[in-house]
Amino acid sequence: MFRKILIANRGEIALRVLRACRELGVEAVVAYSEADRESLPVQLADEAICIGPPDAKRSYLLAPAVISAALVTGCDAVHPGYGFLSEDEGFAEVVAAHDLTFIGPRATVLEKFASKEGTRHLLGDQGLPTIPGSDGMLRDEMHALGEAERIGYPVLIKPSAGGGGKGMRMIRTPRELESSLRVCRSEAKAAFGDDSLYLEKWLDETRHVEVQVAVDRYGHGVHMGERDCSVQRRHQKILEEAPTPALSPDASTELSERAVRAVVAAGYENVGTLEFLVDRSGAAYFIEINCRIQVEHPVTEMLTGIDLVATQIRIAAGEPLGFSQADVTFSGHAIEFRINAEDPSADFRPGAGVVERYHAPGGPGIRFDTHLYAGYEVPPFYDSLLGKLIAWGPDRATAIARGRAALSELVVDGLVTNVAIHQALLANQSFLDGRMTTNLLDRVGSAAFLAAASRS
Amino acid sequence: MPEPAPSDPRRTERTAAERVVDHAAIDGLTGGLLPALMAKLTATGLGELEVREGDWRVRLRRPADGGVRDKRGQDRAARAAAGHHAPPPSAVPNLTPVGPGRDGRDGPLGAADRRIVATSPAVGIFQVAADRRAGTRVRAGDRLGVVDMLGVAQQVLAPMDGVVGASLAESGDAVEYGQELVVIEFASAPAPAAEA
Repeated sequence: MFRKILIANRGEIALRVLRACRELGVEAVVAYSEADRESLPVQLADEAICIGPPDAKRSYLLAPAVISAALVTGCDAVHPGYGFLSEDEGFAEVVAAHDLTFIGPRATVLEKFASKEGTRHLLGDQGLPTIPGSDGMLRDEMHALGEAERIGYPVLIKPSAGGGGKGMRMIRTPRELESSLRVCRSEAKAAFGDDSLYLEKWLDETRHVEVQVAVDRYGHGVHMGERDCSVQRRHQKILEEAPTPALSPDASTELSERAVRAVVAAGYENVGTLEFLVDRSGAAYFIEINCRIQVEHPVTEMLTGIDLVATQIRIAAGEPLGFSQADVTFSGHAIEFRINAEDPSADFRPGAGVVERYHAPGGPGIRFDTHLYAGYEVPPFYDSLLGKLIAWGPDRATAIARGRAALSELVVDGLVTNVAIHQALLANQSFLDGRMTTNLLDRVGSAAFLAAASRS
Repeated sequence: MPEPAPSDPRRTERTAAERVVDHAAIDGLTGGLLPALMAKLTATGLGELEVREGDWRVRLRRPADGGVRDKRGQDRAARAAAGHHAPPPSAVPNLTPVGPGRDGRDGPLGAADRRIVATSPAVGIFQVAADRRAGTRVRAGDRLGVVDMLGVAQQVLAPMDGVVGASLAESGDAVEYGQELVVIEFASAPAPAAEA
């Protein structure tokens, strides 16, 4: 086990890692920017070190500052949390070059899974279904028509280079394909200087389901079930739950088992999350892997009783997993509400300011991971996450009822929060029925959700 | 620290959005304007300078008398005493802020105001410059030492003209970003160019 860990992050996750270190009996140093001098993790830490000014590019994202801080405080490992440097394989490499351990997969493993396209091929070869697409780039009209027929309409034309919707078209018929190819080529050429196009199956009304895995250095891996993250606003997750209402217990277990088999075979290491899109028929397509601890990891912890951050640290230290799939049991239902400093009545504009009055919710099955305290000034420089309220119950209905009660207990005076959108979700029939899809909130409009909730 | 000149003086509450704008404005002022003003104040020997930019007003006044204080120690003590409510330390210590509603009559200038402290530009290992021992006259921008951040030397610079005073860290010490390293005492007059 490590002697001393540098926590290279801020907010609730810095606090979460600090707690895991204490549980494991490992010393910890919290690295912080000038804007976080008064933050809770810095105040609770035995040791803290300022690594730079508020601008993240000169502090939390500045690899030399983070590594220098680890070295001068005598740490032997660096925990990157999520975001910032957590998925930068270059950073993991430099950390290792200074005889420090990056808490996550080793740099060689990260490198293998760095490219999304490469990872889809790698895990596709290990039996994970990926979104069906054309065999390479489209050569000509004949090739395109043949491939579209094979994939099945509707299809999506996508340019090989770039993104942002340029050169992209949803196509329903062969005739549409014929007429759109030329337009898409010229759009792609104009936007990216490259007119290569390919086809992908168009997936409508999808759900986001992800599988949590943990694999030790000795190729021993387990899954910890799935999480459903379909409640999104502009591709940002705002509420996560497990088990997913989208799949039957058998189907979700099969998906989780396939996922862990594939990553073990592909040589993955440490905790990780495989993200899938699930269509209306229940077919799951692998899209990407996250090689770090995720914001929504407490959902899984509530169901399994396994400390994922401690597991991540132990694996990075070279310890064997110490438990097998049969030891992973699931109990009840958990929902996580992301509490953000955002104003739902002003297009979720992020805010900052001083917390004048604060009260954390409690009661059976309630967990609140947060760095808030009364008097804390939320700095305007970072993301708007204030905390994660997790409600567990023996079944989904109880988790929802406890979540509703807990949201009404939460007091964060002085800041505008997004609590209203969660309350609206818990009053929404689509959510209550477990029918949320990733585009629903944006399609209906958050304002309509809020208005409907206030009428009921 | 600069303060806004609000259009309605009775209104003291700032909204979250206004605070974001305020922070950006303060960053601009402290990062861009203040260092230039401090250099100007030092170079000219003027007693006071005031600049208006947009809704903001910055006034710098040359201190009358001085004495060193350990800002870090004070912060810790203040934080311990005040729990969570201690104000964050000022980025530009030892210059008396004067804004709307405040002026020179607010209080006598403390002993701290004759000195300013050069802070660490990075987290790493500090090395004192051999030719900048206590008593040496320096000009603003002179190198007082370096902080080695992973093999890259980051310069510790004199924030203003003056005489090198006490060192608050030794060569070889691990230092954090913003840590106070070398005291610069104000010379009674601007340092003559010939001696610098």
